[in-house]
Amino acid sequence: MNMSDAGGKAYEDVEFGEELPEHIPDVSMSAVKRFGEATGMTFWRFTDHEKARAAGLPGAMVQGIMSQGILVSMIHRWAPNAVVHRIDTIFRAPVIVDSRPVCRGVVTDLNDEARSLEIDLTLCNEAGETRVLGTASVELPA
Amino acid sequence: MILDLHSHSIVSDDSRAKVENYCQWIRKKAIPVDGFVLTEHRLYDDVSDYSALGRESGLLILKASEVETDYGHVLVFGVTDALRRTFDFGEIGLPLEKVVHESARHGAIAVPCHPGRTKVGMCAHIETRGEPEGVQVIETLNGGSRGNENDEALALAERKGYHRIGGSDSHIVSHIGRCATRFEDEIHDMDELVAALGAGRCEAIRLEDGAWISLP
Repeated sequence: MNMSDAGGKAYEDVEFGEELPEHIPDVSMSAVKRFGEATGMTFWRFTDHEKARAAGLPGAMVQGIMSQGILVSMIHRWAPNAVVHRIDTIFRAPVIVDSRPVCRGVVTDLNDEARSLEIDLTLCNEAGETRVLGTASVELPA
Repeated sequence: MILDLHSHSIVSDDSRAKVENYCQWIRKKAIPVDGFVLTEHRLYDDVSDYSALGRESGLLILKASEVETDYGHVLVFGVTDALRRTFDFGEIGLPLEKVVHESARHGAIAVPCHPGRTKVGMCAHIETRGEPEGVQVIETLNGGSRGNENDEALALAERKGYHRIGGSDSHIVSHIGRCATRFEDEIHDMDELVAALGAGRCEAIRLEDGAWISLP
């Protein structure tokens, strides 16, 4: 039985430029509050639109590490057996709670010896503007 | 001739893209560009040599800089050792007029980039500091712009009669070639690029569904 049959992803099956299936994550207030309670990040700027707006933000914003978690979960939807060694993100603008962002990934480097790959990651808002971008280093076991 | 005039490699502190992968991506995705310019943040990369990679991939790869001034970020094309001795590329808050003047004096050209962006773009600073002297060209299409940032840049260019360029401002591989600059001339090196920019023989273009779109 090969890795693909087992529901995993084989390194040999991955191509440079391959796009991961797009994912629309749940960034509703209830999801963000649940994440905040689990991680201790319950500050008003994450959980209260009114207070966030009063402070000059466009609304309550999704925690940065929740955005990172969303991007990693997209990788594991695509390749459940992937080992994510590193995720490195740049936060260009806030991802707003109760919005409908889209996360995308695409393979942009392959290392045959290490069976590892680099994936470009983006989290965009409804207008198509990139709010979070970065890369992940991923290994696909034999 | 189409060149992406604004890109960053891993030499920049906030970029994750290897130049080899930019070339691979352009070829794999058939991005219709003839090359790109690496505009590293606050430095000029005088170590890397991409000439062999450029030949192998059939792309023109040139090097420039993105410096930080009191009017926001500015691309400098045509960097020389002599120019680098006139101001510290690593400094934040360089006087724009000095960057523009010294660049011109040394055969280079300074181009304010993403001018519509808050804090790091020229438009907001014009409101408080007035119009800077000596600017000829600005970036009116930036691939990383949000909201109406590119519209503000275009309005400024129209008002002041500036020449216009475009660039992806890519920090990851898959963002190269989102915006670019079309030149009337064939460009083979940095001297020809600087000359074409100074003469305004160029236009900013944006890639949409695999085709270049010109702006008015």
